[in-house]
Amino acid sequence: MKSRVLLCAAASLLSAAALAWAESDDEVQAHKQVLDLTGAFTNDGFKLRDGHWAGQIKPKDRAVIAVNLYAGNQYWFSAAASNDKAKKLAVDVYDESGKPMTTESYSEGERASAGFSPTNSGQYFVAVSLVEGEPSTVCLVYSYK
Amino acid sequence: MLVGDISAGLHQLVAARANLFCALSHWQTFAGADSLPHMRLPIALGAMAWLGCASFGFAAEPAALSPDQLAKAIKIDSLTIPTPGELFAALEKPGKPDWASQYRTPIPMTYRNRAQIALNLGGLIADGFIAVEAQDSQQVKNIGTDIIKLAKALGVSENVLSRGNSINEFAESSEWDALHEELEATQNEVKTSMQSHRDQDLVILVSLGGWIRGTQAVSASVLKNYDEQSARVLRQPAVVGFIHSKLDDISMDLRSEPLVKSVSEQLAGIEKLVAFQPGKGPSLDEVKKLNDAVGKLMDEIQRKEDAK
Repeated sequence: MKSRVLLCAAASLLSAAALAWAESDDEVQAHKQVLDLTGAFTNDGFKLRDGHWAGQIKPKDRAVIAVNLYAGNQYWFSAAASNDKAKKLAVDVYDESGKPMTTESYSEGERASAGFSPTNSGQYFVAVSLVEGEPSTVCLVYSYK
Repeated sequence: MLVGDISAGLHQLVAARANLFCALSHWQTFAGADSLPHMRLPIALGAMAWLGCASFGFAAEPAALSPDQLAKAIKIDSLTIPTPGELFAALEKPGKPDWASQYRTPIPMTYRNRAQIALNLGGLIADGFIAVEAQDSQQVKNIGTDIIKLAKALGVSENVLSRGNSINEFAESSEWDALHEELEATQNEVKTSMQSHRDQDLVILVSLGGWIRGTQAVSASVLKNYDEQSARVLRQPAVVGFIHSKLDDISMDLRSEPLVKSVSEQLAGIEKLVAFQPGKGPSLDEVKKLNDAVGKLMDEIQRKEDAK
């Protein structure tokens, strides 16, 4: 079953790649990297959202993406850069007022994740920061269960 | 709140690397290297070096985001709007609802108005998620067929049509998690196809149809067995606000179509019905009002005579 899911993910990636007008090579590569990272969550029963955000981030800068989460669910937000020019990424979660949430974090060079279980349903913000490194193309996805 | 047991996935990443060290160890053994106790030291050193590269723990709290940063946050359909599957997953935590009781009778497949087709396509995708939660293979297959019929009516690409086969295959083999991802992928494929066919304005209608149908099913399920904790999943003012703002951006022609105009007007009222205080669930009466409102809207969306 897992191989079929991976095949479907690969097919999605290929069809995304085919839409060259929509995504650059770096964005496709960053998406591929982050899918590698989230494979571990899928094995643990997390369902991966098909959607993603990809874009360039400068050093010491961050991209903030609005998401809507449900109380009771568990979430992992994962980000990866297209290459190792990004030396350190960080993923943080904020509530609707901008207050930082305590998350479980994972970081390894150009890849990072934050795990979070909201107690309130509503809007949250996920920030992907390039802590160290050169300007990089980064992709964010999330999984839930 | 922390995620609890979800770190297991990341431990698997660590385990994968540990396995690599083990594999090297076995290779060395077969190659006639020194005895195991001697090999453990380099393996342990290698593992420590790897763990030194990856940090895993609880993040120190960063500074708060400013109102300006919140206002400028990126909002995109494919991440900002949750799937019906996410909503259903949250409702299932206290106990699995009777999802089969949320099925509806098949909707017409002969709409001619493209906006109405887009809204109903979103609704059907939500129906697909309901059938997946009910673990009902035949219902998933039936809905998959209907999704493809409506998608064809919009002239979407072959990629979408091949998704129909995947839905059937996954349903046949009861691969429920895979079906979650396949249904969302189908929806995204439809949207991508719409964008490439210059039907960009219809994209938000697909999301809207899915959100209304999902909220209808969840509010009905909460009503059947009300408890305040479960009802909290219905708090989603930002989702409705985002959809509403996107509706304001569509072309004047499409916005002035009777169905789209009516949906947009009713959405403003629904936004108020899902805007409860954080940490407090809606009352039974509030849930009923919401269910009535989305039910009325869904009836309007699926009514055949509304087609041009």
